[in-house]
Amino acid sequence: MLRLWPIGRILGARTAAITAARGSSTGVTEKVEVFVDDKPVYVEPGTTVLQACAEAGVEIPRFCYHDRLSIAGNCRMCLVEVEKSPKPIASCAMPVMKGMRVKTDSPVTRKAREGVMEFLLMNHPLDCPICDQGGECDLQDQSMNFGSDRSRFTDINFTGKRAVEDKNVGPLIKTIMTRCIHCTRCIRFASEVAGVEDLGTTGRGGDMQVGTYVEKMFQSELSGNVIDLCPVGALTSKPYAFTARPWETRKVESVDVMDALGSNIVISTRTNEVMRILPRMNEEINEEWISDTTRFAYDGLKRQRLTSPFVKDESGNLVATSWEDAFIATAEKLSAVKGEDVAGIAGGLMDAEALVAFKDFLNKMGSEGLCTEEIFPGDGAGTDLRSNYLLNTKIAGVEEADIVLLVGTNPRFEAPLLNARMRKSWIHNDLKVAMVGSQVDLTYDYEHLGDSTQVLQEIANGSHPFCKELNKAKRPMVVVGSSALQRSDSGAIHAAVSLISQSVRANSSCDDNWKVLNVLQRVAGQVAALDLGFKAGVDHIRQNPPKVLYLLGADEGAITQEDLPKDCFVIYQGHHGDIGAAMADVVFPGAAYTEKDGTYVNTEGRAQQTRMAVTPPGLARNDWKIIRALSEIVGSPLPYDKLEDVQGRLCEVSPNLIKYGDAEEANYFKQAQELAQLTKGQLDNAPLQPDISILSDFYMTNSISRASPTMAKCVTATKEAAASKY
Amino acid sequence: MSLVSKFGNLRRLIKSNGGLIGSLKSSIWTDDIREMHFVGEDKFGNKYYQNDNYFIGRNRIVHYNVEVVGFDKDASQIPAEWHGWMHYVTDNPPTKVPPKPRKWFAEHTENMTGTSDDYVPYSTARPKIESWTPPRA
Amino acid sequence: MASKVVLRGIQEVKPILSVNKTESRRRALNLYRAWYRQLPYIVTNFHIPLTTTQCKSRLRSQFNKNKDLKDLRVIDMLVIKGQMELMETVNNWKQRNHVMQLFDDFSAASKSKDFLSKFYEGHEQ
Repeated sequence: MLRLWPIGRILGARTAAITAARGSSTGVTEKVEVFVDDKPVYVEPGTTVLQACAEAGVEIPRFCYHDRLSIAGNCRMCLVEVEKSPKPIASCAMPVMKGMRVKTDSPVTRKAREGVMEFLLMNHPLDCPICDQGGECDLQDQSMNFGSDRSRFTDINFTGKRAVEDKNVGPLIKTIMTRCIHCTRCIRFASEVAGVEDLGTTGRGGDMQVGTYVEKMFQSELSGNVIDLCPVGALTSKPYAFTARPWETRKVESVDVMDALGSNIVISTRTNEVMRILPRMNEEINEEWISDTTRFAYDGLKRQRLTSPFVKDESGNLVATSWEDAFIATAEKLSAVKGEDVAGIAGGLMDAEALVAFKDFLNKMGSEGLCTEEIFPGDGAGTDLRSNYLLNTKIAGVEEADIVLLVGTNPRFEAPLLNARMRKSWIHNDLKVAMVGSQVDLTYDYEHLGDSTQVLQEIANGSHPFCKELNKAKRPMVVVGSSALQRSDSGAIHAAVSLISQSVRANSSCDDNWKVLNVLQRVAGQVAALDLGFKAGVDHIRQNPPKVLYLLGADEGAITQEDLPKDCFVIYQGHHGDIGAAMADVVFPGAAYTEKDGTYVNTEGRAQQTRMAVTPPGLARNDWKIIRALSEIVGSPLPYDKLEDVQGRLCEVSPNLIKYGDAEEANYFKQAQELAQLTKGQLDNAPLQPDISILSDFYMTNSISRASPTMAKCVTATKEAAASKY
Repeated sequence: MSLVSKFGNLRRLIKSNGGLIGSLKSSIWTDDIREMHFVGEDKFGNKYYQNDNYFIGRNRIVHYNVEVVGFDKDASQIPAEWHGWMHYVTDNPPTKVPPKPRKWFAEHTENMTGTSDDYVPYSTARPKIESWTPPRA
Repeated sequence: MASKVVLRGIQEVKPILSVNKTESRRRALNLYRAWYRQLPYIVTNFHIPLTTTQCKSRLRSQFNKNKDLKDLRVIDMLVIKGQMELMETVNNWKQRNHVMQLFDDFSAASKSKDFLSKFYEGHEQ
């Protein structure tokens, strides 16, 4: 088991030492002086030579070494000369010693690098012109920088080069195993970060092969990251294969909306088309990983798109029209009804700008029926106190926590990167995880307390044995999944969880600033919607059937035709033709997250901005602009014309919405908990079951991923893999 | 060349064009009048002539079927079997050596460029963005 | 001190062509006349899809654009440029698209200002 690996322990001890050093000023460890090219640097003891060199501003070439993975030391590219050492040493694996003199550019070092490079290239195909990694290949770059300027390779008949059969590891990753240089980064990633022991090596020496032992799919929700990790072109992206070169794409730094974490991404575009999506480093959120839906669902942005407005004709068919006609048809309906007969539902992919324009528009017409599709209990403090619906500890807070209680959530599929953090913490910090809810594979061990609400009740009133452990903890976390709050007894569940958190906070020895209660949202737009004062859940609309219903990207089918009166006029605005557009009388084509500058607030309460990478297709327009334009047709124009004006309005409503990059703290836990005790509802007996329990359900969760052919292939492949005997 | 032989040439020329009226018609329709000997006629009514007194390249002549095409004549109106003879691929006109019938022979069509039936190339590439088509009620 | 510098600046300015206002005015009018007489030929030669009258009014508006200029050197420079343009046009050194640029006032007119028309046209911001 990985947790018992010595390297894991060493790393764990080091991080613990560093955190301790950060935490208190008294326990400062004495730093070691080393000389990198005769320049003195002071580093922590236990630092590797490679890290010490990085500190001194010298980057050592490497293939197998990676910051976030354990050290393998098998590529030998990082060889450096150290004075008084008989041979060059592998700097990535060698800890620094006092007074060490490292020479990073000496003749010995250079010769060592040239030699290693020559050996690597001996068995590496020179197919860079047809290789997808070309232009962003570590081997290519480093052979230019550190390799020899001439070749001694005489095998012109190509009899001696190693050739390895390609492996089929699923619809996402393309393997060209002949290019593999055996750095084992992918293997270490799979077993350490992703937590699936699928990848490994067979054979030794020249016969060594990296693969899955038997031909099967690499089943992980984080599998795409091995593409970024691979220093050569052995693992490349299957959907991206042969489509673009890195130097011809335009890169736009943006934010993901596939889950509520808001992973930071880079969108590569060419000729107004999204070519691929890569992760962008953000230590607070996604480190440098992204989930597979984030990475591969982009082809869903090119299918099933709404590219022109539609209006229903006499025969009941939606017909494509111009904006003017669609607006006039809508305005006629809107002016014929009273304000309170209009209602709106906001979906989970909407940005804060569209939401605020939507709210202002409907409020101006006299309607208060503004709901979100995602349900959140309104009993007690409900959504009035921000602390009630945020992941208060923050994602990075998981690394400081010592015990986590999960309630009715499967973080592995609802927030894969949060789960990766928990796994990291479980390996290095001995994090203890317990779960109330149905048993799922989280890739690490956890204590399963049962899936009935009875258990929750027992923990809440302190009679459960697990309470003792919770109370012993210094930094406990209680995480309730938004999927658990979609039930009819959500109020009672939230009240119970908030009671648990409050009592743990009171009884355990955690400090005052530590936050215990956490809500893990599922959709990207929910927190912004709640911050803006939307009603969570569509109960209000069920109770007061509207005459005009405005669906703003609501595609999960919370309200169906049966819930509405016969003559109800449905307006749909969004980017994909899905459930919402199919039931609408008027359709407005909106922009997807790659096509607009939109504010999204992640589950921590961190406002971030997506950036416009491509233009909206056809007649599609930015969402807040559609609402702004419609408001003018209806006769009560909203007071903003520019994005800055809308952001100003956002700031008026809630200043945290435009503090990009900051997670605004939420407080009033005690008051929230007191109010929660007023909740009348009783807990249901139905077991707590997260929506997504297996990998095949993970790929299609919103209108973008549902339209994506790649995601559809993933679903089939995972189902096949589940049926296979391996 | 004597005057008599010149008159003889004129007589032959007029005769080969089908008399005075025929010569007039020929000069109107083809802007030219030459002595020529009938070789054959294709299924569209175009008539083919030959006169080896002219050098190669000018010695095979086509008169398009004016009743069908009028002045709208075009070299692509010559069907494939006559094309070979007309362009000196072969010396045997199809009247002498008829082409072997094949089942894959297509009906001859003239070049339709500039008419409403002309061929317009179209893109076979998939569109970058596939639009949603609403379900029919 | 500063006023001295300015004064010296004014004194040291050298005229390009005209030494007084009357002369520059005469040059401008001469240029206008030359263009005016050439216009019918330009319209025919370059197949300009406008009538001569339209072109004349366009010419007038082009000249009117600079009617408030006071600096003689600026006026002279513009006159010289105008003459060069005319020469290039008359000698057929220009092509049709270059000549069309002289009579094109579409780009200026089609910029819509209000939110709704920008929305319909798909203009950003």
